[in-house]
Amino acid sequence: MPETEATTAGQGQSTPAGYAHPEVLVETDWVAEHLNDPNVRIIEADEDVLLYETGHIPGAVKLDWHVDVQDPVTRDFVDREGFERLMRRWGIRNDTTVVLYGDRNNWYACYSFWLFTMYGHKHLKIMNGGRQKWEAEGRPLTKEVPHYEPSDYQAPEPDESIRAFREDVLATLHKPGYGLVDVRSPQEYTGELIHMVNYPQEGAQRGGHIPGAKNIPWSTAANPDGTFKSVEELRKLYGEQGITPDKDVITYCRIGERSAHTWFVLTQLLGYPRVRNYDGSWTEWGNMVRAPIEKP
Amino acid sequence: MDRQEAIEFLLDHYENPRNYGPLEEADVSLKGGNPGCADVITMYGRFDEQGRLAQVQWEGEGCTISRAAASYVTELTRGMTAEEIENLSFEDLIEDLGREVVMTRPTCATLALGTLKRGVHEYRMRKLSQQDDAPQQAQEQ
Repeated sequence: MPETEATTAGQGQSTPAGYAHPEVLVETDWVAEHLNDPNVRIIEADEDVLLYETGHIPGAVKLDWHVDVQDPVTRDFVDREGFERLMRRWGIRNDTTVVLYGDRNNWYACYSFWLFTMYGHKHLKIMNGGRQKWEAEGRPLTKEVPHYEPSDYQAPEPDESIRAFREDVLATLHKPGYGLVDVRSPQEYTGELIHMVNYPQEGAQRGGHIPGAKNIPWSTAANPDGTFKSVEELRKLYGEQGITPDKDVITYCRIGERSAHTWFVLTQLLGYPRVRNYDGSWTEWGNMVRAPIEKP
Repeated sequence: MDRQEAIEFLLDHYENPRNYGPLEEADVSLKGGNPGCADVITMYGRFDEQGRLAQVQWEGEGCTISRAAASYVTELTRGMTAEEIENLSFEDLIEDLGREVVMTRPTCATLALGTLKRGVHEYRMRKLSQQDDAPQQAQEQ
């Protein structure tokens, strides 16, 4: 499993101690001090795709998750060349420190962190509290879209050791030593809904969850201000459900975005060594012929 | 409309909301919201003597898409009859707003129109009820 850069350079002054990899979190004040740092590139990744245009952190570029990281034909992410094109467009070098932030508790920022880790970028950070905290502190936003000189970014082949496929999930069912985390809402977990409230109820033929999965909604890892909960709170949240670091853990949701947030929490904040994100998630599992499910 | 044009169209409505604010002596005044979401929007309308929506206003809070859609709906419905408004299609509205951008948030995109349609329906039912009552009242007098 790839490791993220271990350095204290990006550690925010007020980041709570005790996280396994505190260097992957930066506070808003750190970002404010590095707006003009040529070695830092800030990327906004939102669930609300209009937010960036309403104003963003000065110098930040926009990651549009609908188009930038999805292959338009296959049900897959962009390939190595596609990722290189993206990073080159933003002028990101292999040694550039990338700071991700976004709306809704850094939902898509963490999703991007997982993706960029898979693509092999080593210098990744999340701005703790995301867009919500930056705005709440009255920090500057701009509508000016920056343009950077293209880089010659070189990416390795994606490391899929942090990604689970349906065969991987099938192989874990009812076996000790594995932990499945369903990070969707309780209504989706029980099968009452197929998607979150207010979202199109589509994508899967059936409702329910993968047998043996524990329901720990992704957003329970965040405080009301969008920052991550303390390490003690997070240990309790997952440990009480039997999701412990000695297990091979697979997280899933509907299409792997919310579960990437939980992947981030488990691997980066709690230091779990073996966690994979099943991005096929319920949209794939709930449609598979003869796939076992539980529906209370 | 391509994706970027749709974003710019919605952004224009979000940042320059048309017909924003309360409407006095409105025929229609109805608040709508999405449970579990921060979108709360009130739609107002006043019909003229020809039965057409002469003034339509909105106010409220919500995400970018719900606010932009509310602004657009006020432009879309002005001059329509109650029946025409009730017959408006949510699918057509989503097309107008840019399906590719709003398809993941249909409840936000359709909140304003849904609220206005309910309010207009209530108004029309009240009018019908008043018309039904009128001859009876005349007889009683």
